[in-house]
Amino acid sequence: MKPLLDINRLNIDYQSNKKEFNIIKDINIQIDEKMKYGIVGESGSGKSLTSLAILNLLPDALKVDQGHIKLNTDSTKDLITLSKKEMRKIRGNDIAMIFQEPMTALDPVYTIEYQLLEVLKIHKNYSKKEMHQKGLDMLNKVGISRSEQIMKAYPHELSGGMRQRVMIAMALICEPKLLIADEPTTALDVTIQAQILDLMNDLSESHHTAILMITHDLGVILETCERVAVMYAGQIVEESTVENIFEEAAHPYTKGLLSSIQSLGERSNELYSIPGNVPTPDNYQELGCRFATRCPFAMDKCYEQEPPMFEVQDDHASKCWLHVEEAQDDERRTSRAGS
Amino acid sequence: MYAYIIRRLLMLIPVLFGVSVVIFFTLRIIPGDVAQTILGTDATEDALAQLRKDFGLDQPVMKQYFSWMGGVLVGDFGESMRTGRDVLPDILNRFKITFELAILSAIISWIIAIPLGVIAGIKRNSKTDFTVRIISLLGVSIPNFALATVLILVLALTFSYSPPVGYVGFFEDPIKNLQILILPAIVLGTAMAGAVMRMTRSSILEILRQDFVRTIRAKGAKERLVIFNHALRNAMIPILTIIGMQIGVLLGGTVIIEQIFSLPGLGQLVLTSINQRDFTVIQGAVLFIAFVFVMINLLVDLLYSYLDPRITYK
Repeated sequence: MKPLLDINRLNIDYQSNKKEFNIIKDINIQIDEKMKYGIVGESGSGKSLTSLAILNLLPDALKVDQGHIKLNTDSTKDLITLSKKEMRKIRGNDIAMIFQEPMTALDPVYTIEYQLLEVLKIHKNYSKKEMHQKGLDMLNKVGISRSEQIMKAYPHELSGGMRQRVMIAMALICEPKLLIADEPTTALDVTIQAQILDLMNDLSESHHTAILMITHDLGVILETCERVAVMYAGQIVEESTVENIFEEAAHPYTKGLLSSIQSLGERSNELYSIPGNVPTPDNYQELGCRFATRCPFAMDKCYEQEPPMFEVQDDHASKCWLHVEEAQDDERRTSRAGS
Repeated sequence: MYAYIIRRLLMLIPVLFGVSVVIFFTLRIIPGDVAQTILGTDATEDALAQLRKDFGLDQPVMKQYFSWMGGVLVGDFGESMRTGRDVLPDILNRFKITFELAILSAIISWIIAIPLGVIAGIKRNSKTDFTVRIISLLGVSIPNFALATVLILVLALTFSYSPPVGYVGFFEDPIKNLQILILPAIVLGTAMAGAVMRMTRSSILEILRQDFVRTIRAKGAKERLVIFNHALRNAMIPILTIIGMQIGVLLGGTVIIEQIFSLPGLGQLVLTSINQRDFTVIQGAVLFIAFVFVMINLLVDLLYSYLDPRITYK
């Protein structure tokens, strides 16, 4: 079966009159129907840009340089080459998106009802009464109890958690096949975060919606996703099932991320952090591995040649030269043992 | 809301009181004999004394002020020292013309400025944007009277057209009325358009950068819907502020334009009254203009809360 969304060798460049450089390099992601897929990375790793590229909502200076984003619903469409008109039919209808800041993601001058039903008005042909009823039902589904009242409210009259619920209602009201959630809980209180994640989990199951979860928080990934891609400096450095990543992380960067999570009950005097910062796109290393400058295991080779994705185990790939070394070590050991 | 409106109306009292004090006493400071100025140098002593007595100019200044204010409070603005006619009906008659001119100019400026400002904002740094910015700079920087004179000359010399002379009310003869007003309205409208255009452009630019615009695009909305239903409405507040101030100024009368097009508006009334030292008319007109200005501001503030539900008045 074809995956619902197939991102194949996606490259995004920054282009201005003066400069041009690569930002996102060779992203490959396959999301099956009803799958919950996570992309995790620090800010500046390009995870949000990747998600914006899917709906062709990239800022003006950024262009998809090459690659395909194939959407397989009833027919197969390449979202990169789609006309504006066809793209609009997909936005909000086949693929919906919710954003990080529920405070600013809603238009302040329109009521919740107007904004919730706007997306229905764009894509479906319902009577006013039907739309109103659909809106109420959807608000109930996202756990808003006084839905009649909330419909008439303006965004500034709601709390952050309520607004994010409204955003989710807005995203799911057309029953999309894929929901892209760009840091949906980052701006919320911790107690609300868990509620919102549970809600998204429940709704994606009852609506048969796949989720692409973009987050910097490995905890969110663990709680919601089945598969995960770890991004660093515009590239995927490791990709596998969530279990594999958490139990047998292979890439030094993923290991670093995992050790920087403080486990409950485990008290150490110092928090682990990966030394250095994520490089800005105009400082990406031309040759070699983009993580090499911060990597504790960096070898000469890492500065000279870009590592490919190695299959470290079944269904688990990592972009690091160490795996070759390990493989060679293993080989040496086995040959020695054999001789 | 109603409580707010009432409070704002109550604030009129100190404002108008202040204006009345300033205008009344500055007029009294002007050197020279008012009676002499009005009646001319040939006037007899008796006539001068009679005029001073009729208008209370022989009384102490404080007493003059209070007797004038006493009249104003019951709606009697006094009589013109020059014509002897009641001041208020004269002001209202002149104001009708000024009001019509202001509204017409404002409409012309919106028709030009808002679409162009929106286009410039959407296509930032394009050739269109560049052109619009130059036009708006021209609109702001060309003096009104220069544009007015050029317009009259070009129309007269090239097309042998000149607008009809002598003001006619809109309800008497709408076509002639428009013919008279359209040229001054174009001159004032283009000048206003410059500022409105710049504000529209920058306001739209700012709104388009905001997160909610991306949300609306992600819903699959057409660009038209994004711009007109969402961006423009959000961008309206600063635009409205500029428009309100412009209209307030215009309603106070546009002396030069009224003079050039010989329109008997409020500006012209004030100017001639000052030249003739017609104290009662000046005082009445200035007070009236201040009143209109405050009312326009109140109207703009009320419109804010209509456009943006986050703004509420209690």
